Amino acid sequence: MSQQQDAGDSLYRKDPKVYPRDVKGTFASLRKFAVVALLGLYYVLPWINWSGHQSVLFDLPARKFYIFGTTFWPQDFIYLTLMLIIAGLSLFFVTAVAGRLWCGYACPQTVWTEVFLWIERLVEGDRGKRIKLDASAWNSNKILRKTSKQILWISFALWTGFTFVGFFTPVRDLSHSIFTLQLGSWEAFWLLFYSFATYGNAGILREQVCKYMCPYARFQSAMFDKDTLVIAYDENRGEPRGGRSKSVVPTDKGLGDCISCTLCVQVCPTGIDIREGLQIECIACAACIDVCDQVMDKMGYEKGLISYTTEHKLGAKESHVFRPRTFVYAFLLLSLTVGVFWSINHRVLLRADLLRDRNALYRELPDNRIENVYTLKLINMDFKPHQYRIEILNNNDMVLLISPEPDLEPEEVGNFILRIQAPASAGRGSVKLDVRFSTMEEPIIERSVSTRFLMPFD
Amino acid sequence: MTTEHPVNRRWSMRQRDWAVVFWMSFLAASAGAFVLFGLVNPLDVVNVWADEFSIGVRLAYGLTFAFLYLICLLASSLTMFMIRTGPSSGHVKGEGGHSIPDIQDPSQSNPDLDGENWK
Ligand code: SF4
Ligand code: SF4
Repeated sequence: MSQQQDAGDSLYRKDPKVYPRDVKGTFASLRKFAVVALLGLYYVLPWINWSGHQSVLFDLPARKFYIFGTTFWPQDFIYLTLMLIIAGLSLFFVTAVAGRLWCGYACPQTVWTEVFLWIERLVEGDRGKRIKLDASAWNSNKILRKTSKQILWISFALWTGFTFVGFFTPVRDLSHSIFTLQLGSWEAFWLLFYSFATYGNAGILREQVCKYMCPYARFQSAMFDKDTLVIAYDENRGEPRGGRSKSVVPTDKGLGDCISCTLCVQVCPTGIDIREGLQIECIACAACIDVCDQVMDKMGYEKGLISYTTEHKLGAKESHVFRPRTFVYAFLLLSLTVGVFWSINHRVLLRADLLRDRNALYRELPDNRIENVYTLKLINMDFKPHQYRIEILNNNDMVLLISPEPDLEPEEVGNFILRIQAPASAGRGSVKLDVRFSTMEEPIIERSVSTRFLMPFD
Repeated sequence: MTTEHPVNRRWSMRQRDWAVVFWMSFLAASAGAFVLFGLVNPLDVVNVWADEFSIGVRLAYGLTFAFLYLICLLASSLTMFMIRTGPSSGHVKGEGGHSIPDIQDPSQSNPDLDGENWK
């Protein structure tokens, strides 16, 4: 290897391990609440049933998605795409208004890391103790604590992986097959894979995912402007920083309000110093706000040396929540959401595919009639059974024969043979037919399909 | 001091990045297409499509390759972007980034803060 390359490599130093200190306060409680709510949903949802199905189930083999009592069929793929777009737009909107709210409170990376940190804290103690433990030689205490932590971590990761698979395989069947040791190999693979990913991301990688791997962190600058909420240190107020006792009047010593306690650095899960200015590594978790507010309290200073603010406010300018960018995002978001929900509610719960039998053009029947044969696939997307009626809209002379009877159970897919017969005088060549499918019970369930009917050409 | 020779100045960093992205994606997509068509006969697939979209074999080859190329381009350009825009705090020279923050015992110079009580 050339010398140059060695030098190139050596320009990089490893970032030291981050030992975030525990923090209590308004935003920490908010995050705790978010963690409990989101993970609660994640672990509990598969166990709740809704209209006879698991509330959220992505049944891949059957190619059906059940989401809160609505079934999505492969034909409804467009809705899922649109919902992804809605999710993306919501992220844009929230980012434009409130910055990296997602990162600090809702991102799975944050949420699971938080739980892994709780476990770590439970077993190994807070920051100071953890640093000491890591630095100490291996003894029975260290072995005991490290193994306990690993056991808890791995169990939690496995439970997470199990739940993940439970969104794709009915979770009750899955737990049954685990307890009877009959887990399918694919299920086992995904269970272990997701457990491993959880363990790796939340236990080992942590802030490095946010700093080096997350594309959202890099793209967000495109959604930011000077009115976006960010977490920032008020430099004008804080500097010059320096230690002092409470009795000292800062201005007498020429000091600002920052007492250089470095607690804001110690609580930071990404290990940065917010006093250095806005940084791409900051995930806006507000831990530094919480801790600095407590310090300010203790010192008898006004809170808010570190706070949620905007670049405009920091520069003593006016800040606006409503601005063209947020309007555009909000408008797009609202219209798309309304549109999608309207169209989901109005979708026709019947799907009909009519294919002409490709093996024969047409058949001449003895009584001077022409017959074409079609294969018909009907999908009853409703939760109720239906009887279907089939008519040809634009031709009265034609006779329609179907076998078996087009009755379908809820969510049943039926294949039928449809024969259409017409008097030979009905036309020449290829005739366009409009076929309508409807139900006796509900007028809204109705679908028309066009096809071709072939007659002798001469 | 570098001499101003045209060869020295042919490509900017960004141009070089993109050239690498395009070329590596092309190689990867080619390898992918070879393997894929070794396993799957496009003729089989084309017959199913043919009715609906009337796609010929050559077009099927072309479209598949284009699709693979696009996916590879996406992956490698994102990789380039992530590497080029990362935080540079891990750089000893601290270029554009920040040095490792100093941490001290909060009560060291602030007698009113008693270290471990900070929860
Ligand atoms: S927590 Fe507040 S007072 Fe302490 S170092 Fe950070 S900014 Fe300064
Ligand atoms: S700087 Fe503050 S808000 Fe940003 S990640 Fe660190 S603790 Fe969280």
